[in-house]
Amino acid sequence: MLELLSFGPNGWGGQLLSGLAMTIAVSVSSFTLGILFGSAGAAAKLSHSLILNGIAEVYTTIVRGVPELLVIYLLFFGGSGAIMAVAGIFGYEGYIEIDAFSIGVVAVGLISGAYSTEVIRGAVQAVPVGQIEAARACGMSRWLILRRVLVPQTMRYALPGLGNVWQLTLKDTALISVTALAEIMRVAHVASGSTRQPFLFYSTAAVLYLLLTTVSTAAFERAERRANRGVRRA
Amino acid sequence: MHRHPPVSDTAPAAVVVEDLHKRFGELEVLKGVSLTARVGDVITMIGSSGSGKSTLLRCINMLEIPDEGRVTIGGETIGLKKIRNGRSTVPADARQVERIRTRLGMVFQSFNLWTHMTILENVIEAPVHVLGVPKAEAIDRARMLLDKVGILAKADSYPVQLSGGQQQRAAIARALAMQPKVMLFDEPTSALDPELVGEVLRVIRQLADEGNTMILVTHEMGFAREVASKVVFLHQGRIEEEGSPDKVLTNPDSDRVRQFLARHLSGAA
Repeated sequence: MLELLSFGPNGWGGQLLSGLAMTIAVSVSSFTLGILFGSAGAAAKLSHSLILNGIAEVYTTIVRGVPELLVIYLLFFGGSGAIMAVAGIFGYEGYIEIDAFSIGVVAVGLISGAYSTEVIRGAVQAVPVGQIEAARACGMSRWLILRRVLVPQTMRYALPGLGNVWQLTLKDTALISVTALAEIMRVAHVASGSTRQPFLFYSTAAVLYLLLTTVSTAAFERAERRANRGVRRA
Repeated sequence: MHRHPPVSDTAPAAVVVEDLHKRFGELEVLKGVSLTARVGDVITMIGSSGSGKSTLLRCINMLEIPDEGRVTIGGETIGLKKIRNGRSTVPADARQVERIRTRLGMVFQSFNLWTHMTILENVIEAPVHVLGVPKAEAIDRARMLLDKVGILAKADSYPVQLSGGQQQRAAIARALAMQPKVMLFDEPTSALDPELVGEVLRVIRQLADEGNTMILVTHEMGFAREVASKVVFLHQGRIEEEGSPDKVLTNPDSDRVRQFLARHLSGAA
């Protein structure tokens, strides 16, 4: 039975490994995109502009309030149409198809970003106002304050929450298997269908996910220790 | 007894505040305050809490934007403009405010050292990144200043590892590192345990003796008398009385000042 997991001609080892690589690629891309959406979302929620507040509120409400699988379906089936409609405005009438990887990254990135928005917003608000005032008082520009004080201070409060978002993002990538993107879940699904050994392949998939979450949890703990230098431990 | 030498009326003006008004919502905290600090002046601002003294100090470096009035630092008036149909005021030129702030050192009640940086990093941060001082030069100067305030041994510690008094002395070194023309102190000892107040006041007194121009908000009456060239008493957003420390703190014209002193010299002294 273990032959099925080997890298030989009858084994699924090679495909599982490339599925693992694909899961990592989608997760890292989605999480990074999510941090960008989240930073923009947090900035919008904290701004004094009612329009920006509204846009960010609509974004997080919809994405967090709709099942994640549905967000992926909406983008998968609506994404190409939307892009073609935009291209049509510019006079392009051909068929545009977006690859499953990009759709998946954008979909999971949107979901990840909605949760990151709340984490980052809370972290920015947790930075004591005196830290920013001290920076303003010595003549720092807004950009310098952001780079030298606000971001490092925010990281300290945001990292534990972002660690959670990362785990959610990693697991959400399994949902993209419905678009036939060959990540861990999809490979396990195909392999169990063709070998009639579903339990073997799904438990292998579980082990791979656990491996990823365990390693990344350790990495986040390291990052937290680094960000928390100069903070008294409780 | 120690006294600050009087500052000549012909000394150039370092800070000029004219007819300053500041409202927080419905509450008018400053109701038309004018004040001049000349080069070499040490002005202590006293008054009950809520009298507007901290707000006045924070308007000098635009941490609070006054609704009306003018602030002039070293001859340069800070440009302000009205927005939202005149309902609020903002600096006309953010760059100008940033430039002027580099000439004003600010020391806060709660120190506000950047907690993610060591003491040395705190002190060199603004000289290096705002003024563009070469790092090696900034470090040399920072070490000299930390030595001056007596915490050179703590240069590589993080703020949380220091006592309140040490943190405040580090914050003073951070402000001095910018070589400011004027030092602003916002109740620098109010957050300290009583036994730590002395070490911070000693540093401030030394700066006063060296001829630095300073504006202090304080509750330490004895200290205010010793270091000040001028004492300003604020009451409900207006200057109730100002003058030499001996005049204002010993023989004030105003009954309100008299009552305030009676409370503060007997009770909490």
